[in-house]
Amino acid sequence: MEIREIQGYLYFFFILFLTFVLYGYIVHLYRSEKKGERDYEKYGKMALDDELTSPPVEPLDVNEDAKDKRSGK
Amino acid sequence: MFGWLEKNPFFFAVGVFVVIAFAGLIEIVPDFAQASRPVVGTKPYSVLELAGRQVYIKDSCNACHSQLIRPFKSETDRYGMYSLSGEYAYDRPFLWGSKRTGPDLHRVGNYRTSDWHANHMWDPTSVVPGSIMPAYKHMFTNVTDLETAYAEALTVKKVFNVPYDTDIDGDGKIDVPLGSYEEAKERALKYAMKIAQETKREDLVNMVKEGKIPEIVALIAYLNRLK
Amino acid sequence: MQNPAIEYDYTVAKWFSYLAILFGILGMGVGVLIAFQLAFPELNYIFGQYSLFSRLRPIHTNVVAYGFTLSGIWATWYYIGQRVLKVSLKESPFLNGLAKVHFWLYFITALLAVVSLLFRVTTSKEYAQFEWPLDILVVIIWVIWGIGIFGLIGLRREKTLYISMWYFIATFLGVAMLYLFNNMAVPTYLVTGMGDPLHSVSMYAGSNDALVQWWFGHNAVAFVFTVPIIAMIYYFLPKESGQPVYSYKLSLLSFWGLMFVYLWAGGHHLIYSTVPDWMQTMGSIFSVILILPSWGSALNMLLTMKGEWGQLKDSPLIKFMVLASTFYMLSTLEGPIQSIKSVNALAHFTDWIPGHVHDGTLGWVGFMIIAAIMHMAPRFFKREIYSKKLLEAQFWLQTTGIVLYFSSMWIAGITQGMMWRAVDQYGNLAYSFIDTVTVLHPYYTLRAIGGLMYFIGLFMWAYNFYKTMTAARQIEKEPQFASPMAA
Repeated sequence: MEIREIQGYLYFFFILFLTFVLYGYIVHLYRSEKKGERDYEKYGKMALDDELTSPPVEPLDVNEDAKDKRSGK
Repeated sequence: MFGWLEKNPFFFAVGVFVVIAFAGLIEIVPDFAQASRPVVGTKPYSVLELAGRQVYIKDSCNACHSQLIRPFKSETDRYGMYSLSGEYAYDRPFLWGSKRTGPDLHRVGNYRTSDWHANHMWDPTSVVPGSIMPAYKHMFTNVTDLETAYAEALTVKKVFNVPYDTDIDGDGKIDVPLGSYEEAKERALKYAMKIAQETKREDLVNMVKEGKIPEIVALIAYLNRLK
Repeated sequence: MQNPAIEYDYTVAKWFSYLAILFGILGMGVGVLIAFQLAFPELNYIFGQYSLFSRLRPIHTNVVAYGFTLSGIWATWYYIGQRVLKVSLKESPFLNGLAKVHFWLYFITALLAVVSLLFRVTTSKEYAQFEWPLDILVVIIWVIWGIGIFGLIGLRREKTLYISMWYFIATFLGVAMLYLFNNMAVPTYLVTGMGDPLHSVSMYAGSNDALVQWWFGHNAVAFVFTVPIIAMIYYFLPKESGQPVYSYKLSLLSFWGLMFVYLWAGGHHLIYSTVPDWMQTMGSIFSVILILPSWGSALNMLLTMKGEWGQLKDSPLIKFMVLASTFYMLSTLEGPIQSIKSVNALAHFTDWIPGHVHDGTLGWVGFMIIAAIMHMAPRFFKREIYSKKLLEAQFWLQTTGIVLYFSSMWIAGITQGMMWRAVDQYGNLAYSFIDTVTVLHPYYTLRAIGGLMYFIGLFMWAYNFYKTMTAARQIEKEPQFASPMAA
């Protein structure tokens, strides 16, 4: 097989793969929101309410606390 | 997996990089070996031609002139045979250009002469009425930097095995000699004198006699070589 | 950590804003001059050899792309970055110091770059003209910025990265990769010990060099003129209008969509090659499917204004941003059209290409940076925007300028392309090359006038900004949404 042909196939299948991943992502986004696992739209508030003093939409610390609890501290 | 990626900046960055880098890998790398083979008969540039090429680059001629004839009848009628990949094997960098404010120059050596170029670069409208190209009079007084051109030739010979001092076509003769700087300079001066005389300009001939090659002479050597 | 006295630190954002204005005026001023040179060639000689068209064109492209646009990107990065991560640069003396080093090193490099181009030091590769010592400085600047981005992310209070951050990260990575590979060169002095120490020779030859350069050139447009500008609009439009992004999910999708689309964009190399036909056809189909996510961003922005279109009438900043997204849609439609094989045969090498580039840069990039800096100005200086009327006038003047610009270049490009291929009744070429140049004179004049209008608008912007900084009415509190402006 000529190198051009290999290149063509690689190219084609990689695009196919990425397209699947992309559409998989769409499914993931809507499904996880439907199931109530995550609310993506709330992240839009990050731009609107962005004072240093305003509470984060999803604080980093809380998660670390949770981790600490899990590790038994 | 997706949600996790959104919260881990490092792996997110890796993901983005893979997506944008893969295209380059697939598109570019396989072409490399193939496109770099010279067409039979293509020879490396002599030092004077290379010096002229550097002048071409320094004054950004490629801002307005392409060096790429596409395979359409209207282009081959106007400029000559369409361009082949292997013809560019010794072009570092390539000078295809992206805009034809002026005409293509890939085969300009076929239909323009040294004195035409000299007159044109001195005053474009004198040979092409209505031309919007500016005159490049500083090229007639600036002295060519032959040393840098030689340095470039020696670099590509050493680093990229460009066949200087080699019998390329197998006829038992060295095709493009390089040798030491002194040898190269002597050869360049001889070649420059021939071109200076062709331009029919006293000032250029006199400069070459003094051992100084005006930039315009080097540039014409390069343009004449484009065939 | 929760010290109420700590505020966001806008010092570096301010500095970069000043630079954006300075480089905008310089770069576009040169642009206007060379546009007039094409119509009136005598203008080539006003500064001797230093004002020749070919000398100035690289200066125009580089100052606008790497001076104006990069300054704008960094001005907004040092503003948005802190805010969406909810961390102040003041909290990290290291990052704050690094940001200042970033600024000064960039400023010095930019000046050196302009001087080097003026004195003919160039590699000739478009948008990568700088010689190797400057390239090394660029790499250092880029690494400093990278440390700045990831350092700030490390200190963040907000766990999830806002969509603008995604785009900034992609800008950082994309440009790093492209710039590095395209500028690979061997300095000739280091190999031979003679000649000009600044001179270098490209690592790639001929077609390979072209391949790398196109891959770079096309994607540099993506990662300098598209991706970071989207980062800006995703922050400034919602913030200025007080409306959250229409669909955050769509914004995430269009991010990945854009990364995929640009992966494709270089792929037209394959369409001219020897791969099987069915694959080429599939290629076209996929690129049509995949262009949808790229329009997602623009539509998302327009839909963010849903039900709030009254703001378009009231606020010049909203006008700038909405028109910017419209121009984004226009140029992302125009680009694919131009890469269709038969259209490309006509359009390539003509003035339609600069026309296309300028829809994007003047309409999308320029307008977005202007709006972003005017949005930040009241926050920088705790003052109102000095004059709404002036901003309105600037908007209309510049919009007219852009329309003149691209309409004249469309006509010029198509005219030129048609004339190059026109034949007489015997099948001979109908026009000599010079015929196809002289015919463009009116369009070149019109284009230059369009550019001049845009350029005058820049001075109105600079004046408005300066007055905002020094003379406008002071405000007590940082405004949350719409920027206050005096009539």
